[in-house]
Amino acid sequence: MDDLYIAVVCSSNMNRSMEAHAFLVKKGFKVKSFGTGEKVKLPGASADRPNCYDFGIPYDDIYNDLMEKDKGYYTQNGLLHMLDRNRRIKPCPEKFQVSTERFDVIVTCEERVYDQVVEWFGSRRSVHNQPVHVINIDIQDNHEEATIGAFLISDMVTKMAQSEDLDNDIDELLHDFEGKCQRPILNCIMFY
Amino acid sequence: MSSKFNQSSNITAQNQLIQWINEAGMAEGTKKTNLLRKTVELLLHSASQMLPVYIENILSYVSDKSNDIKKLVVNFIEEISKLHPQYLPKVIAHLRLFISDTVVAVQKRAIQAASIVYRNTLLWICKETADLPEMQLVWENLTQLKLMVLNMIDSDNEGIRTHSIKFLEEVVLLQSHSEGSSDNEFSLDDLPSHLPFINRRALEEESEHIFKLLVKFHNSQHISSVNLMACMTTLCLLAKFRPKFMPRVVQALGDLHTTLPPTLSQSQVNSVRKHLKMLLINLIKHPSSNEMMPQLTQLLIDIGMTTQEIHKAIPKERRNKRVGEIKTGDAPSKRFRVDSPQSNSQGSDSNSRSDFTMFEDDSSQSTPKPTVTEDSILDGLNNVENVVGLVTSTLVNCLPTEMPANFINIYKPIPNSGSKAQKKNLAKMILGLIKDEPVVPAPITQPPQSIPLPTQSIPQPVPQPIQPVSQPSFSDLAAKIPLLRDDDEKMTLKNAVAKLQESTKADRQVESAVSKLMEETRQEHLKEEERKAKDKEKPVPPPTPTVPKLKQKVKLLKLQEITRPIPKEIKERLLIQAVNRILKAEKESAIGGVSQIRSKFITIFASSYTPEIRELVLNYILEDPLGRNELALSWLYEEYAFMQGFNRHPVTLQPKLHEKHDQNYNQLLCALITQICERGEPIVENARDILLRKIYSEAPVVTEEAVDYLKHLVTEEKVAFLALDILEELCLMRPPRAHKYVASLVCHVLNENEEIRDTTTKSILKIYKEGTDSVRKVIEKHANLYLGFISLSSPPQELFNTRHMMRVPWNDELFKLCLNLVMALFPLNEELILEVGRVYGCAGSDAKRVVLRCIEAPVRAVIDPAPQQLRAVIDPAPQQLRPAFRTLLQHCPRGAETLLTRLVHIFTERAPPSEELVSRVRELYATRVSDVRFLIPVLTGLSKKEILAALPKLIKLNPVVVKEVFNKLLGLQNPNEESPISPVELMIALHLIDPSTADLKYIIKATALCFGEKNTYTQDVLSAVLQRLAEEQEIPVLMLRTVLQALTLYPALAPLVLNVLQLLIDKEVWLNKVAWEGWVKCCERLLPSSGFLLGSLPARALTPAALPGSLQRALHAHVNSLPSRERGSLPPHVIAAAQEPQPQSQYPPSSAPVEPLPPGMD
Repeated sequence: MDDLYIAVVCSSNMNRSMEAHAFLVKKGFKVKSFGTGEKVKLPGASADRPNCYDFGIPYDDIYNDLMEKDKGYYTQNGLLHMLDRNRRIKPCPEKFQVSTERFDVIVTCEERVYDQVVEWFGSRRSVHNQPVHVINIDIQDNHEEATIGAFLISDMVTKMAQSEDLDNDIDELLHDFEGKCQRPILNCIMFY
Repeated sequence: MSSKFNQSSNITAQNQLIQWINEAGMAEGTKKTNLLRKTVELLLHSASQMLPVYIENILSYVSDKSNDIKKLVVNFIEEISKLHPQYLPKVIAHLRLFISDTVVAVQKRAIQAASIVYRNTLLWICKETADLPEMQLVWENLTQLKLMVLNMIDSDNEGIRTHSIKFLEEVVLLQSHSEGSSDNEFSLDDLPSHLPFINRRALEEESEHIFKLLVKFHNSQHISSVNLMACMTTLCLLAKFRPKFMPRVVQALGDLHTTLPPTLSQSQVNSVRKHLKMLLINLIKHPSSNEMMPQLTQLLIDIGMTTQEIHKAIPKERRNKRVGEIKTGDAPSKRFRVDSPQSNSQGSDSNSRSDFTMFEDDSSQSTPKPTVTEDSILDGLNNVENVVGLVTSTLVNCLPTEMPANFINIYKPIPNSGSKAQKKNLAKMILGLIKDEPVVPAPITQPPQSIPLPTQSIPQPVPQPIQPVSQPSFSDLAAKIPLLRDDDEKMTLKNAVAKLQESTKADRQVESAVSKLMEETRQEHLKEEERKAKDKEKPVPPPTPTVPKLKQKVKLLKLQEITRPIPKEIKERLLIQAVNRILKAEKESAIGGVSQIRSKFITIFASSYTPEIRELVLNYILEDPLGRNELALSWLYEEYAFMQGFNRHPVTLQPKLHEKHDQNYNQLLCALITQICERGEPIVENARDILLRKIYSEAPVVTEEAVDYLKHLVTEEKVAFLALDILEELCLMRPPRAHKYVASLVCHVLNENEEIRDTTTKSILKIYKEGTDSVRKVIEKHANLYLGFISLSSPPQELFNTRHMMRVPWNDELFKLCLNLVMALFPLNEELILEVGRVYGCAGSDAKRVVLRCIEAPVRAVIDPAPQQLRAVIDPAPQQLRPAFRTLLQHCPRGAETLLTRLVHIFTERAPPSEELVSRVRELYATRVSDVRFLIPVLTGLSKKEILAALPKLIKLNPVVVKEVFNKLLGLQNPNEESPISPVELMIALHLIDPSTADLKYIIKATALCFGEKNTYTQDVLSAVLQRLAEEQEIPVLMLRTVLQALTLYPALAPLVLNVLQLLIDKEVWLNKVAWEGWVKCCERLLPSSGFLLGSLPARALTPAALPGSLQRALHAHVNSLPSRERGSLPPHVIAAAQEPQPQSQYPPSSAPVEPLPPGMD
């Protein structure tokens, strides 16, 4: 089958999905990344005051904003570096729910995000009857785990791409992959 | 202009098209695909007028090698159906080809397109713009296509199955009535009925069967998780848009929940369950689910959602609606609405099952059967005659001759018989009976009257052990779509069960609306019974139809509303009983390994609740104090924690009424101690020692009362020493508070019992040695206090505290008692001497005496801590004066001179006085102490002059003291001491004492003492003394007495004495009467050798009055013995004196030398 069209989705389209996005792009996959949250949330100076941005505000703007707020702090916690990476990949964070594209595979990074994605599919009628596999791999929202997660996602997607007939193999493939990565995996099929 | 522009653009597009089509024909791979894609785009959107021309060019790629191109063509067909359905007749056949393509991916794409094409085709047909044959062609193609896809649901490829499911979903949706669904989508209702090739009923029937097929597929055991989820999604979608499927969908989902396919892995199960939950929530949000709400809610609860979560998921307006429904649940119209959809669907189910004619469905609606409604039956039941008739006929016709065995078990009297609700129930049951009559086997049918419970009376189909049905291939099934006989029985069973549930549900809804809480519990009970009964009736549980649990009325129970507070007395009684049980469970808890927890419980109970519990626990502990002392201690600690506010118990556990925490602790401690001491039981008696020690030493704090009790115990004969011991231990082991405990111990130094006194003193000393400063201070204070007693005029009360006798005046014993402590402490703290000195000064003479006596030993111990023999070797040098003594000497308190004297005396007993001491003493002697005795101890340190000055006073003292003085002066007392005065000098000094300052008598005694020391006053010494004395200007009064004595002691001194006598003659000794007498006596003693002395006497001395007879005779003899020549040289007075010898001698010359009288005795 031809190239898989992949979406990687996390909550804010910042860390986990972008890490995987970057990684998959490097591997030559056709990939997009999204967030499902209400807002793009980034850690702030304290836990109860995150930095919130709307989807669609460019990474560059966020970068400059944080730089202005506290360059040292956000350099030290790696946010600026992450944003710098992100702005080299694509202009701005995108919200999954407003995307009109049709993917073959949607990889989510957190059960809550998976729920939101599935919920979104469940709330609308399929028009094209085109199936899409929604797969969740739990990845904690930090730099290290995001990197590991990106590897895992890349592994999985590579296997998928190698499959002659993904729809037929998906169950077994995910089962094998789950055994290998030692993380619980959720999946289902939805229709566009 | 615009047309011209259009035209030109058309031409451009056409050219472009031609070019691309040509290029595509030549190109390969992706380039070809891209070209073709562009062509398709152009054709469909910009140059659609050229479609008829070029459509074949595109369609010809149907047999292309590339899958992408094939898919592109499929896409093209799909778009055609959407945008230009008039060309459908041209493309539909190609789509069929693609469906049966060899490549799976193309097949899938084709199936996907097919569903869209199908929808669009139906829309196109509805418009009826095309010719009939064209439409028919398309329709026939589509029908075949549909069959093909139906077959594919049994494909080996999971992906194809997935797509097929989706296609079938579309088909079912399109081929069923919308039933007033809100959406404006296409439904069977929109299909024109006059077209010859379209049979709407057939289509609907077909959709019904396809639905069943989907359900079956959904419930199959070997479905993959992805397809299962796809199928679930599809079913739910159908349920949403076609409410008639809702009950079956819900049931299918319920079945799925209970029996998931065994092939799924854990995470797949998780995914499926999650999916199920999501779908169900979606369902309950949808208005069409209203009627199935109870089942859905139950299912959600089963899945693990809480009622609150479910409640949240339900849209607000429907929540309210449901409440309203329940309120007006009695209204028949509502009830009808509630029931109607189910009876509809079930009706169609049962009908299609009973006879499979397609038209039954519609006809069943118009048959008179539905006129038999619940209401009509209810009317009938309200008529007494009818009822009587019914009962009678049942009794006659239908009652079995013997009671069935299970009847007895399940029979329950109808509690609300005759009520409206019961009648309604009955009506419903009868209705059920009437409707299901053909299905129900006769023997099971029972007349309603004889059946006690409504639910049980519902005729059940005979539970046929479900054979493990060999799964018929889905394609087989699909092939005979109109006929579904395979599944007949299963379906019937399902329907029956579903009906059963529905009816009971309805009952419950009605009743729950009218009945109160009690009624509800009864229903719960009945339901339980019913379930049990059902279980009994169905020995083999059917694998598929599981019974969804009935809707439970969700009522939030608030504890405060439904409970009443228990009266306080009962609460307390229960509490006590509970504690009692815990107390009794000692062994059990130990076996269970929870002794710790138990004791924690007990302590919390004991410390936090009522006095009764305290008492209970206390008694429990005292039953076996030895075994339960740990408990006692942990309780103590608990109380202590309360007292200190350390406890971490919740506020409710903290005692409010008994807020005297500290008292609680104290009371408990004292209670424990006193009980242990005073309980006469032998066990306690034996363990008392250990227990008391343990409690006192391990209690977190020992209160004053506890210490007082201990103090009191000392007066108890049996435990006095134990108490003392514990007190000592307390002081030693609990240093921070030792200063509080020690007072209780220290008072016992005044105890009348000597043994106690001694023990106490020893303890105090030990504590004093090891204790902190504060402890020492307390002890010192007491010591000083007791010391102070002796200066009082009469013994204070304290001395009699422990005695039972009347007050007595001071005696030595009492004085000693008071001094005990201070004397014992003295070696440890010399400073005490200052206070002793001060008190001594004020004290009476008796007290002083005792003090002097008592202080001797301690002072000795202080100044001479080492054993004597060692000291002699090591430390012969004079000791340094101790600071305390120095201070005392510096500030000699009034009246304490004697004490000082005594002290100084003791200091100098074994070592020569130090210079400092001497100077201090000298100073004192000069200023304060006039008593010469004060000087005695330091005599050896004084200068010769001083000694000589003091000598006249010294010799006046008590003979014993004088003796001591002389011993000192003569260095007899201590061989190391060097006397500043030699024996010779001493003797001379004695002789030279002015008789006016000291009575001669004392001097005589003193000299006598000297003579007594023969070792000192040897012949040589005495001769030196005599010589020196003879040299004196004035003849000392006692000189000749001494000469005589010396002569007596040492006769060998005679020549010397003669010399002395001679010297004395020169000094005209006869002028001194006393001396002369002595001289004469000496002469007499020395006769005859002294005769010549007489001869040398002057005439004045030779008078008879001066010379005794014996001497005269001696003179006479002397003269006579002289040669005549010499005789002639004698002075005449000598001759004269010698001539008249006396006839009688006063002293017989031959007699032994006269012993001098003992010195000082005359």
